[in-house]
Amino acid sequence: MIAAADTPTFTVVLVGNPNTGKSTLFSALVGVHQHVGNYPGVTVEKKTGEMVIEGRPFEIIDLPGLYSLAPRSRDEMVVVDLLFRQSQEVAADAVLCTVDATNLERNLYLVSQILELGLPVVLAVNMLDVAERRGIRVDLDRLERQLGVRVVPTQANRRIGLEQLKAALAVLPSSPTQPLRATCKCHAGLLGCACYNPGMQRPPPGPLCPNVTRLPAAFESEVALLHSELAADPQQCPDGPPTRSLVRRLLLDRSGYMQRTVLNDAEGRWATRIETAQTRLADVGCPVPSVETTARYDWARRVLDGVVVEPPHYEATHSDRIDRVLTHRLWGTLIFALVMTSVFQSVFVWARPLMDGIESLTAAAGGFLGSHMAEGAVRSLVVAGILGGVGTVLAFLPQILILFGFLAVLEDCGYMARAAFLMDRLMVRVGLSGKSFIPLLSSFGCAVPGIMAARVIEDERDRLTTILVAPLLTCSARLPVYGLLIAAFIPAQTYWGGLVNLQGVTLAGLYLLGILAAVLAATLFKRTILRGQTPPFVMELPSYKWPSPRTVAMRMAERGWVFLRTAGTLILAVSILVWAALYFPHNPQATHQQQQRESLLGQAGQVIEPVVRPLGWDWRIGCAVIASLPAREFVVSNLGVMYHLDDELADNGTQHDRWSQKLHGVTWDGTDRPVFNIPVALGIMVFFALCAQCAATLAVIRRETNSWRWPIFTFAYMTALAYVGALITYQLGMWIGDGA
Amino acid sequence: MIKQVVPSQVMPLPHLPVGARAMVARVLGHPDHVHRLEEFGLRRGTKIEMFRRGNPCIIRLAGNKICLRADGLLSVMVEPVG
Repeated sequence: MIAAADTPTFTVVLVGNPNTGKSTLFSALVGVHQHVGNYPGVTVEKKTGEMVIEGRPFEIIDLPGLYSLAPRSRDEMVVVDLLFRQSQEVAADAVLCTVDATNLERNLYLVSQILELGLPVVLAVNMLDVAERRGIRVDLDRLERQLGVRVVPTQANRRIGLEQLKAALAVLPSSPTQPLRATCKCHAGLLGCACYNPGMQRPPPGPLCPNVTRLPAAFESEVALLHSELAADPQQCPDGPPTRSLVRRLLLDRSGYMQRTVLNDAEGRWATRIETAQTRLADVGCPVPSVETTARYDWARRVLDGVVVEPPHYEATHSDRIDRVLTHRLWGTLIFALVMTSVFQSVFVWARPLMDGIESLTAAAGGFLGSHMAEGAVRSLVVAGILGGVGTVLAFLPQILILFGFLAVLEDCGYMARAAFLMDRLMVRVGLSGKSFIPLLSSFGCAVPGIMAARVIEDERDRLTTILVAPLLTCSARLPVYGLLIAAFIPAQTYWGGLVNLQGVTLAGLYLLGILAAVLAATLFKRTILRGQTPPFVMELPSYKWPSPRTVAMRMAERGWVFLRTAGTLILAVSILVWAALYFPHNPQATHQQQQRESLLGQAGQVIEPVVRPLGWDWRIGCAVIASLPAREFVVSNLGVMYHLDDELADNGTQHDRWSQKLHGVTWDGTDRPVFNIPVALGIMVFFALCAQCAATLAVIRRETNSWRWPIFTFAYMTALAYVGALITYQLGMWIGDGA
Repeated sequence: MIKQVVPSQVMPLPHLPVGARAMVARVLGHPDHVHRLEEFGLRRGTKIEMFRRGNPCIIRLAGNKICLRADGLLSVMVEPVG
């Protein structure tokens, strides 16, 4: 498949409601020739793929699923930017719309918005098999006639209809696309219009009608007025003269997003102008935004007249029978708890050997490089700085891949929506909705994928709250810290005949502390800085289906790659910084201990000692904590370095025991008073339960919120929380200890 | 005030028994929230069926199922049909 070099690429954007099989269709069309990027400035993923049809290169862009072009969520904003703003780097030549045959009326709502763009449109009607099973009959020929665009039946998951779809796309480049005719017959009525219909046998393929949906005349005259005013003042529109469909959206948009992005409106003149127009419209009985839904659904009903025959009533489907159990308040919740427990169990059990393998590989590589490189700064940098950082990032990859594999399976088969439904009852108490549950749950594995998963939350305040509290939940990176200190300082006492183990209780308590802190923080944020009216929680429950291995594999690869890129670069950078702070200023004659004390980090540790003293820490613990900024588990090896516990770190039992003994023997400088006791150890654990010592999390918050404000805020509030938590723990512990 | 406007058999959605079919009579609330539900397909004249009661509840809408939590700010009034 080699395309002729001189033919320009034809760009087709893929648009549709969620759960219409859009992404499956995308994968079926372009196969492996796809890549994932990001839209400039936002984190919405941009999936593009290439294909060649009849010698011509096509670029297909899979846009996020959405119900409407009203820009509210990030996904919708991206689609609106791409479709309406000519300054964007992507210029769509045509639109491929996927619709769900079982719910055509609602799907046509979006189609009617798309048709107004004036681009050629091909409609892929998906899930006809499901519709048939439910007793819904769809007359596609009639739909094509009444809609005026090419309609192709597809069954993306079984690769049916792909050739017809490609044939429909193939004729698009050679068909006339421009311009809109001002005197369209549609003004007289939709069915009489000779609309643009590429590839159809029915002559004549006239220019596309600009008024497929007939909004009320009062509305259209406001559009015309605003359009002429904007056209007369070219400085107002940096993207160039606005199209009529863009002016329509400007008038319909109540969020202010369109005005902000499309118009050069620093003084708010146009905002006032648009508001006045909206008030005028409300006075004549065309209130924005309901004027849009009324007009578009009227249009959809006319287009679907005689097209869809619904059964008198719907029979119970397989999905219904499954849902009777899985959405049941008792049984559903029990099964949900079981599913989640097994997912997390598997993540830990399956990832363990892989993590160990990666860790020993990096250790071996470090040993090899260490013995083959000349002593000096370069060797130290490579072994301690670079390999240490890379090893940490890689060690988390198996967990993230496995966790995302499970989540992708649950998502693809339709279970996630049910989980969100079940958990909504719980989440609403802290001011969030069911949609926040999965991101928060993932954060028990690692906050990075959890924060990325928060993208599905449409409400911006809910999304931010979820992102801000996700790092409080106990991720797996805290386990090495807890493991070391619990084994060393918490007595292995059992009560009630071995049923309750003090060490286990401590660990459970730390998990509980994280959950409690997250609940309190979320409640607080939703009542203060992120206060606002919560939009109604409404969500589609798609029919259950077998997960597609291809979709699951793609999702795992995408997430894994994002993690490697985001976490990798940052952890690496911070590791090198920390290494440098320990290595410089370098004194070759100094003993290990002297070097530490005189290094930048050591000096910093001594400067902050008065601050950490109330926590019962000496300057070395302070240093180890600062140096664990790249990732929490660094503190274990940092403590090892600071107290010369061992030359290298391994996870076996004897090593742990040796470490424990040595930690017990550590004393304050110049005295024989031990540094570590139970309150100090508990305090350190509480600190790590609540602190934000994770560069990857902060980097991903920066990426997802597109500002430094929120990662800085997260770091500040979590560090304050951690300090206070550790202080209370230590002081309370000492007080109880004195009293006993 | 609502009672004067709508006929007596109209009831709030949460009162609809499981398995009962109804027609949406009106959606009351903030215009933006109402608009959102309309774009989602839940609007005056839509035929629905209660699948699971509660808050959030699950209703069947044009062969699909959606879950919906209507808080104090938003209420869906429905008219049962035979």
